[in-house]
Amino acid sequence: MDDKYKFIDFLGLRFNVANDLSALVAAILVFILVFSLSRKITMKPGKAQNVLEWMIDFTDSIVKSAFPDGSGSRFSLYAFVLFLFIFVSNQLGLIFQIKVDGFTYIKSPTTNPLITMSLALISLMLAHYYSVKKFGFGTYLSNYARPVSFLLPINLLEEFTNFLTLSLRLYGNIFAGEVLLALIGTVAKSFGLVSFVVAIPVEMIWQGFSVFIGAIQAYVFTTLSMVYISRKMERE
Amino acid sequence: MASLLVLGASKIALGDMLFILISFILLSLAVKHYAWGPVTKMMDARSEKISGDLDYADQERARADKLGKEREEALKNSRAEAIEIVNKAKDNGDSQKKAIVADAHSEAETVRTKAKQDAEKAKQDAMQDAQNDIANLSLEIASRVISKELNADDQKSLVDSYIKELTVNNETK
Repeated sequence: MDDKYKFIDFLGLRFNVANDLSALVAAILVFILVFSLSRKITMKPGKAQNVLEWMIDFTDSIVKSAFPDGSGSRFSLYAFVLFLFIFVSNQLGLIFQIKVDGFTYIKSPTTNPLITMSLALISLMLAHYYSVKKFGFGTYLSNYARPVSFLLPINLLEEFTNFLTLSLRLYGNIFAGEVLLALIGTVAKSFGLVSFVVAIPVEMIWQGFSVFIGAIQAYVFTTLSMVYISRKMERE
Repeated sequence: MASLLVLGASKIALGDMLFILISFILLSLAVKHYAWGPVTKMMDARSEKISGDLDYADQERARADKLGKEREEALKNSRAEAIEIVNKAKDNGDSQKKAIVADAHSEAETVRTKAKQDAEKAKQDAMQDAQNDIANLSLEIASRVISKELNADDQKSLVDSYIKELTVNNETK
């Protein structure tokens, strides 16, 4: 869309205020969520603890499906935080967006490709790091020529497509959802009261659908991250 | 938005990447310290406790089964023992009864034989006495009735022969 952003240049790096502020808000919301759910940890779980354990079981099942041999338990925390962070980020822009003087300050951080690319980069860096750690650098490199050597260019290309599809899938879904929300918003304002009344249920439906998409995309991103990591850690 | 993706575009907000990375790492650490660590620890402890409880329940059930079997065995044994005791008592009673009856029989027998012997003896004595008396009496009668030519010895032998004849006659009768 035609949003305008404030930029801050600091130490030669450029910061998009809207992205950083939104990501920070999302991170703080995630922390508040798990912090408030984990105040009374007991052997017999209460309601809050049950919710938290349910979420942990959910992300654990994602990790287990990617690592059937059970070696993926060290990625459980990463999957948990990743899932919650992306989920909250996706919903953030649906709940509230803050614009001051035409400049956006709070939105879904995942509507920016740089943010999703950063997250995808974290996942893929983890994958490569643990691959090197497990096989050693030489075997890690030779894994690109497996199972047969002429697949080497395809395997190299796959690394980039993995990165791009992982990040841009999330970005595209969430960005499109918010674009459509904004479009419905402009429709609502276009013909006064009539269009407003018509647009409200449509907006509600699309918001509900976006919540659904946000949850699905968080699940897909976490699942694919785990799959990429587990594929880097096995020899074909 | 597309300009953000083009390399060499005048200004890419690369600081965002760094910001996301740092905030994500900080978020992970905070979540681990405040929520993930305690909860997963408790979950592990719970699963351990549950498996421990299950093992304990299995043990307890096995023990209860064993105890029950022992009880049953003991009950069966005690019943057999009771039957044995009753049988023994019955046998004892029977044998005692038999012994008592046998004793009584033998005693009665001895009493009877003794009585019989006594009676025989008394009869013999009486017969002897009667024989002597009769002999003397008949001797006296005979001496009085018949002549005095017969002396006592002849008389006696006469009477004896007579009595013998009598007894022989009696027995043949």
